[in-house]
Amino acid sequence: MTGETPYRVVIVGGGSAGWLTACVLAARRPGLAITLVESPDIPTIGVGEGTWPTMRETLANIGISESEFLVACDAAFKQGSRFDGWVTGEAGDSYLHPFTLPPAGDTAALLHAWAAMAPGMPFAAAMTAQAAACARDLAPRQRTMPDYGGALNYAYHFDAGKFARLLGRHATQRLGVTHIAADVVATQGAPNGDIEALVLGDGRTLAADLFIDCTGQAARLIGGHCGVAWIDRSTVSFNDRALAAQVPVLPGSPVASQTIGTAHRAGWIWDIALPTRRGIGCVYSSRFMADDEADAVLRAHVAAHVSGVDVAALSPRKLSFATGHRARFWQGNVVAVGLSAGFIEPLEASAIVLIELSARALAEALPASPAVMAVQAKRFNDQFRTRWERIIAFLKLHYVLSQRSEPYWLAQRDPATIPERLAEDLVLWREQPPSARDFPLHDEMFPAASQHYILYGMGYGLPLPPPAPAITAAAARIAEVQERARRITAALPDNRSYLAAIAAQAA
Amino acid sequence: MPNHQIVTPAEHADLRVHVGAGAALGDAVMACIAVPAEFRRLAVDYPILFRQDEESGAFSALALFGFEPGENLFLDGNDWDAVNRPLAMVVQPFLVGRSRDGDGPGQVHIDMDHPRVSHSGEGMRLFEPSGVATPYLEQIADLLGALDGSHRASGDFYAALSRYDLLEPFSMDVTLDNGAMHRLVGYHLIAEERLAALEPGVLSELHAAGHLLPIYMAVASVGNLTRLVRRKNKRGDG
Repeated sequence: MTGETPYRVVIVGGGSAGWLTACVLAARRPGLAITLVESPDIPTIGVGEGTWPTMRETLANIGISESEFLVACDAAFKQGSRFDGWVTGEAGDSYLHPFTLPPAGDTAALLHAWAAMAPGMPFAAAMTAQAAACARDLAPRQRTMPDYGGALNYAYHFDAGKFARLLGRHATQRLGVTHIAADVVATQGAPNGDIEALVLGDGRTLAADLFIDCTGQAARLIGGHCGVAWIDRSTVSFNDRALAAQVPVLPGSPVASQTIGTAHRAGWIWDIALPTRRGIGCVYSSRFMADDEADAVLRAHVAAHVSGVDVAALSPRKLSFATGHRARFWQGNVVAVGLSAGFIEPLEASAIVLIELSARALAEALPASPAVMAVQAKRFNDQFRTRWERIIAFLKLHYVLSQRSEPYWLAQRDPATIPERLAEDLVLWREQPPSARDFPLHDEMFPAASQHYILYGMGYGLPLPPPAPAITAAAARIAEVQERARRITAALPDNRSYLAAIAAQAA
Repeated sequence: MPNHQIVTPAEHADLRVHVGAGAALGDAVMACIAVPAEFRRLAVDYPILFRQDEESGAFSALALFGFEPGENLFLDGNDWDAVNRPLAMVVQPFLVGRSRDGDGPGQVHIDMDHPRVSHSGEGMRLFEPSGVATPYLEQIADLLGALDGSHRASGDFYAALSRYDLLEPFSMDVTLDNGAMHRLVGYHLIAEERLAALEPGVLSELHAAGHLLPIYMAVASVGNLTRLVRRKNKRGDG
């Protein structure tokens, strides 16, 4: 693989993970010879339809215009997540985790200024103008703004099937990725445990320097060939089932600006708004809720929250999942990206961002000669192992701060289920707010600000107060946020109008 | 009959107004009224010329954007390529309305037939859901007030220019690189020689009244004619 021979990468699997990885690698490393092989008859499973703001940079880097993406993927804007019913489950129990950060500066001062100025105002509304925009279903940008720029930080909700198809067209037509529609029937191993080649259904073999396993839960390469162990995390994260429904919406109905996660007695319900439909699904733990109970919870929720829907006509799709991840994500010349690497409930939409981060890290690491491959793999594994720990702890934070009293919720707060590091954090955060010292990596998945939105959104006690002048200064910043909220809510169009305008433009 | 309405939260709760620039928004015009208080800002970009109303004999000032009707050389797609825009353009589609006797405080009116009035759900809102004016409408009200106040005060300014005979007719032939000719006729400029010959007492009086600055700004702005010709040549469309 030295000299003129291009470095060969073969990606197995053509869902969001496969095509996104192909696009990121091809755009960033045009010298790589990338082939994506996917079975002609495996339907793509849509793993959550919410992204992180990172997707804007990813799409810009791979060269897809924002309006093309929005129209082709039936996409809408996502400005954060709203959590209803997670604290007490009573009426009005709701808080927002927006993507826009609080004002810079001393967090303790901001918290005490908030408590002094506007104790009745939700934490997120005091910290960012985004809360006002979300409350009114506003888009985060105006059409005249440059692609992927906004007045507020934002991500997307989209149709994952359409997304994979858009990326597939882009990869093959514009980025030079070779596409093979064939089953992989076997792997040919090398003596050192690497994969030498894949054997395809038509008898061809496909050799490469690096193989990327995007085969989903099947984990054909990282599990099947390499036998890398699966680490189960279901003692921390209980949910193992979901019922997913697609709910049509009335024309002209408002399109929500955020994912809405509504807690129920043994899990929660996601609600993801697209221009033409809402993806609504019930996540639950089979230890605490039977499938038919979950079905009833889902239908009751849809009946209460979506107008004009025949609830009886819904046919939710049942998904079973194991929570956990591989012991290693890069083994020999095989890298797992997507569900083959791990899975956790979609509470903070971590699935797609992990694909992006994996693909970016691979783009940095490749091409890798056999001599450095092991080092690259070790670094990659350390990095993504930490990311999984952070995700698991951050999702758990949403549960441990609840005051709900159903058995499921009590079990979630059982100290035996709380990761040690999170338990320590919670002790520390009684006196000090989460800070960069607690999340010291330069590319933390959930920086201190994310922890703030959950912690203080859920009513955690305030840290020790700083001196009065710091609080006065922080109060001025909160007042600036309120003024900014007035200005931008006057300027931003609502989501429905924005999406209708770009659809009309594209037609 | 223009469709002007008084802006109220009851009537215009959900109304939005396009604030960008563009020919479709009514910006394809060759000039607009300029008030003396903004000459300093406008002199950065635009030639400021004066015009006399044939019937009343009253003077007013214009910021010039182009050489023929409908031509705005500052307009580049959805960009208005200048540091400042004249108040008369910024406040569109709003205008100052007054009660019948013409006195009393001005009201914010809107021309509902203006292309800046949005029907797409995009644009700036005038009112928050509570009925309070948005910062945008507050700013518009301030700008309308400034425009109106300066317009009313401009009578003194033009009276002073007439008193000391400081305006002189001006016409200019513009020959473009491609040979095409445009003629600016019927305008007036500050009469620089007479300005230079003013007695100290008169200068002092003009200065005290706040007229000297806009007079010199108007003088300086004439240099922008050359830049405007250059813009016209760059367009290359004659």
